[in-house]
Amino acid sequence: MQAARSSTLRALHSAVLQHLRVQPAQIGSTWGLFRAISAEAHAQGTCLSRSQVADRVLSVLKSSAKVDPLTVSETASFQNDLQLDTLDQVEIMMAIEDEFALEIPDADADNMKSTKDVIEYVVSHPRAK
Amino acid sequence: MSTAAVAARRALQQQRTRVLYRKALRNVLSWAVHRDIFYVEAQKMREQFEMNKDLSNLETIDRLLYEGESRVEKFQHPDPYIVPWAPGGSKYARNPPVPSEVITVVGFEF
Repeated sequence: MQAARSSTLRALHSAVLQHLRVQPAQIGSTWGLFRAISAEAHAQGTCLSRSQVADRVLSVLKSSAKVDPLTVSETASFQNDLQLDTLDQVEIMMAIEDEFALEIPDADADNMKSTKDVIEYVVSHPRAK
Repeated sequence: MSTAAVAARRALQQQRTRVLYRKALRNVLSWAVHRDIFYVEAQKMREQFEMNKDLSNLETIDRLLYEGESRVEKFQHPDPYIVPWAPGGSKYARNPPVPSEVITVVGFEF
């Protein structure tokens, strides 16, 4: 009697545990999860959404003293639409660096000629905050 | 000199001015940490660049660029502000990613 009850209890116990037990994941998925968190594998870009990045970039441009806020848009070219010369463009890139806590190397900063380039660059940068 | 060589030289000078201005502004940012002081000093730096805006003689521009670069070198901050995750910053390579040769075995029982 005692043995029967304990064996059914044990069966019930193991059945419950079977439901509750977390199955060990495959090696690939664990590794994939770890690599997804690590900075090296995060090649997708920043965790900010594109609209957030666009809003912040536009607000940086609008609050800059050298830019007319009415001409600012997402496809505005620095040279033609916003009438910025080279030194102004350097200052704008420094302001973007301050806004998103980035360090933009010289080669990348010289290649950016419009607001769209800036937004694309920030969205694809893994370290932009 | 041929026009292509002149144009190439001018493009190089434009790039050198951009790099110089960026270095100078980052220097000013490292020295003048408080933002209101920084804006005043950055404006002064900008005016120094604007003084020589309309020159067209290639040799003069080269000489001024050389002088500017040596001045920036002289006033370089000994501990410049660099974004932490960038090379030279305090957090650079702090947690390097584990190489893919290292295998984790899940459920390993001693």
